Amino acid sequence: MTGNRMEASTQSAAVRIQRFDPDVDKKPYFRTYHIPVTADTTILDALDAIKQHQDGSVTFRRSCRHAICGSCAMNINGRNTLVCNQPVRAHLDKKNQISIRPLPYLPIIKDLVVDRSSFWEQYLKVKPWLLPPDGVPEKEYRVSPDEVAALQNAETCIMCGACYSACQVVALNKNYLGPHALLKAFLRVLDPRDSQPGQRLQQLDGDYGVFRCHTIFNCIDACPKQLNPTEAIETLRKLIQKRVTFAAAREVRQEKLLSESR
Amino acid sequence: MIESRVIEHDIIVVGAGLAGTWAALSAGQQGVANIGVLSKIHPLRSHSGAAQGGIAAALGNVRPVAGTGPRGPLEPVPAGDEPPDSWELHMFDTIKGSDWLGDQAAIELMVKEAPEMILAYEHMGCVFSRLPDGRIAQRRFGGHSAPRANYAADYTGHVLLHTIHEQALRHGVRFYSEWYCMDLIVEDNICRGVVALDIRTGALHLMRAKAVFFGTGGYGRAWKITSNAAANTGDGVAIAYNAGVPLMDMEFVQFHPTGLYGKGILMSEACRGEGGYLVNREGRRFMEDYAADKMELAPRDLVSRSEQIEIDEGRGTGADGQGIDLDMTHLGREKIMTRLPQVRELAMNFAGVDIIEGPVPIQPTAHYSMGGIPATVDGQVIADAAGTPVVGFYAAGECACVSVHGANRLGTNSLLGASLFGRRAGTAMAAFVQDGAGLHPVSGDPVARNQARIAGFMDGGGKKESVGQVGAELKETMTRQCGVFRNAEEMGKALEKIKRLQQRFGQAGIMDKSRRFNTDLLGAIETEHLLTFSEVIVASGLARTESRGAHYRVDFPKRDDQEWLKHTMAHKASDGPILSYKPVHIFTDRYPPQERKY
Ligand SMILES: Cc1cc2nc3c(=O)[nH]c(=O)nc-3n(C[C@H](O)[C@H](O)[C@H](O)COP(=O)(O)OP(=O)(O)OC[C@H]3O[C@@H](n4cnc5c(N)ncnc54)[C@H](O)[C@@H]3O)c2cc1C
Ligand code: FES
Repeated sequence: MTGNRMEASTQSAAVRIQRFDPDVDKKPYFRTYHIPVTADTTILDALDAIKQHQDGSVTFRRSCRHAICGSCAMNINGRNTLVCNQPVRAHLDKKNQISIRPLPYLPIIKDLVVDRSSFWEQYLKVKPWLLPPDGVPEKEYRVSPDEVAALQNAETCIMCGACYSACQVVALNKNYLGPHALLKAFLRVLDPRDSQPGQRLQQLDGDYGVFRCHTIFNCIDACPKQLNPTEAIETLRKLIQKRVTFAAAREVRQEKLLSESR
Repeated sequence: MIESRVIEHDIIVVGAGLAGTWAALSAGQQGVANIGVLSKIHPLRSHSGAAQGGIAAALGNVRPVAGTGPRGPLEPVPAGDEPPDSWELHMFDTIKGSDWLGDQAAIELMVKEAPEMILAYEHMGCVFSRLPDGRIAQRRFGGHSAPRANYAADYTGHVLLHTIHEQALRHGVRFYSEWYCMDLIVEDNICRGVVALDIRTGALHLMRAKAVFFGTGGYGRAWKITSNAAANTGDGVAIAYNAGVPLMDMEFVQFHPTGLYGKGILMSEACRGEGGYLVNREGRRFMEDYAADKMELAPRDLVSRSEQIEIDEGRGTGADGQGIDLDMTHLGREKIMTRLPQVRELAMNFAGVDIIEGPVPIQPTAHYSMGGIPATVDGQVIADAAGTPVVGFYAAGECACVSVHGANRLGTNSLLGASLFGRRAGTAMAAFVQDGAGLHPVSGDPVARNQARIAGFMDGGGKKESVGQVGAELKETMTRQCGVFRNAEEMGKALEKIKRLQQRFGQAGIMDKSRRFNTDLLGAIETEHLLTFSEVIVASGLARTESRGAHYRVDFPKRDDQEWLKHTMAHKASDGPILSYKPVHIFTDRYPPQERKY
């Protein structure tokens, strides 16, 4: 018999969902739905059950249901998180109640669905793609396991927007690039295959870059993948101080990359 | 009411997973500027991003340590040493995995181009895991006789999808994010465009194009226990079928041996690739009874059936005896944390188990669709067994059937196939457009037709059925009667049930009547699609009176090459699919059919 299997006892939960259809409602309001939950009912399971059995108009995004596609970030009892990997029970208060709101500070399209346009615009601004060196190599670029490990903090970001919508600086200034875009910039700056770290650092040094971050750590708290945008921002700040030498060192590194890949 | 528009592109790509994004990018690189990519979810949410284990190519970077046997520990191959892997080996493994139903010329092309495909990803910025000397790391995967799964820890699909999406943005590809393709317009065997719903506004638009590409992904959502994302509802497959395009080999659906018990969420094959054990109630590694040589790394169809037999014969684990234990505790913390971090997180969140400390309960889960829209290696969709092209219509990825996976896909071959055939289709479409293809007129009013379809769901009067209920019964039926083990009686019942469900669906309405972001409506259209192609799966499976690859008939347990070494083609007719058959391409001198033993 498998040791840790969850027990199947059922309890009733009151799920409060913030509703809002801008075409008909003046302002957002809450509706409460009562559903049975077991230890392994996720918040997404609860939303699906409510939509199927009680109210088909409850609107939310989801797809993968295992914390990899980034669709389902919402605000649960005041905290941003994914809902597909969170058991309802872990979030019930003393009255067996849980409150689900859309990600804050973003325009609401309907109910729990927000408009992430500004989020994607900032992502585009940092040129999220790799800018490889000139020349077509014959083999793979040789990147060391340590160099790969240094990227892991950024590489696994699923672009769910939980950090962005938790960030106080974003809330006050829509031009700030935001933790997600800075994390992506970090990925590119640190990747030995990227040929433009100098230019990237220059951009990040600008008005809406890394020095706007107030180090409030909300992003770390909100990240469902346990990533650390603040640390990445710190690293970028340090690299900006030695931008010229860093860019020169990259050029040397790239010559080696190219010669090894022939 | 929001205006319906007519939108024109040279090429419309439906789907922004690996197949669709590669198609758009490569067509763009060939100089076609006016490309639109539709995706019903944001491109980065596409299911390709959920792939965990790896992408196949015989780079030959690692080999088992000499003298440790085929399952021994792996080491980097020193420079200058004979490469331990080759495209020929990859080709044979794929043919054998396909149970000889794969088309061998297509397989040959895929495995030969595979290494270059991996390098293309690497040069674009994909962060692969590495060997100490900086080359790409490789691991073992089921059914592959050499370690050739190139990976990024256990989130390979995630890094591939982000990399290719970024490059598409870099090259200015235009994405219509959260646009839902509802209909394909084919007249006189010429494709003319699609009808799409802008989910946010609720407006329907006619989108005309010289070439249309489908990369709409798989259809595991027809089963109750599945590893597939909510978006995997086989829209493209159903839409093409409704437009008169045949569907090929739909009876072949792969059940992955390690879905989380009760949920179906995937525990990557990398769990076994890295050395995990499958254990029954008696604490025994039962695979020694079924595949003594390959053990846990036998191909998926075989492992899933073995598990199901253990469960059916009372040797399952868990309180209800319906599970199997996947035990990785002997791998140790270090290996688990570096190679299987996502798997560990999944097991913790969804089963409350830390795989470092204990086994996790699993069961077979509907995973991969081998069948689909018949297409050539250049993505050209064909209208019949003779290979007549549907002019201007292309497909690749999991919604298509090339067929490289035949009756059973080997793990890691699908990320490869989706990328490679998506890219080839993009190049072919560019040539088609540049050779002077034009926009073809559209007769009738397809937008009004689809508007009426939507109105039908919205119309409240006298609707007795709920879409959700009909969908739930379908999934239950497919899981019980068209799963790992099949027989004529059960599939016959399933077919009748599906027909009844289709009728009941005509009486089904939805609750959300609004225009804006109506996911209730999308759910209804998706359920209609599930009902459409599930009928084809069951009818094709019922007709195929043999066992081959993933299609296992208890009443016909042997493969029958005399009668059944052929592809199923299903065309839509008013009272169900009409089946015909297409020969398999085989190099009889090199890879004649053999018994498939592991
Ligand atoms: C959990 C899991 C793990 C896997 N791991 C591996 C692995 O390790 N190795 C491997 O080789 N394979 C793996 N596979 C299989 C592989 O991931 C898929 O076969 C492959 O990613 C499919 O890619 P695709 O581009 O065809 O489709 P997808 O990536 O599924 O993309 C489909 C696209 O079509 C769009 N779409 C669908 N319908 C519509 C519509 N009606 N209108 C508009 N847009 C639409 C979607 O929005 C999406 O953008 C795995 C599969 C699963 C389920
Ligand atoms: S549904 Fe994909 S992250 Fe939650």
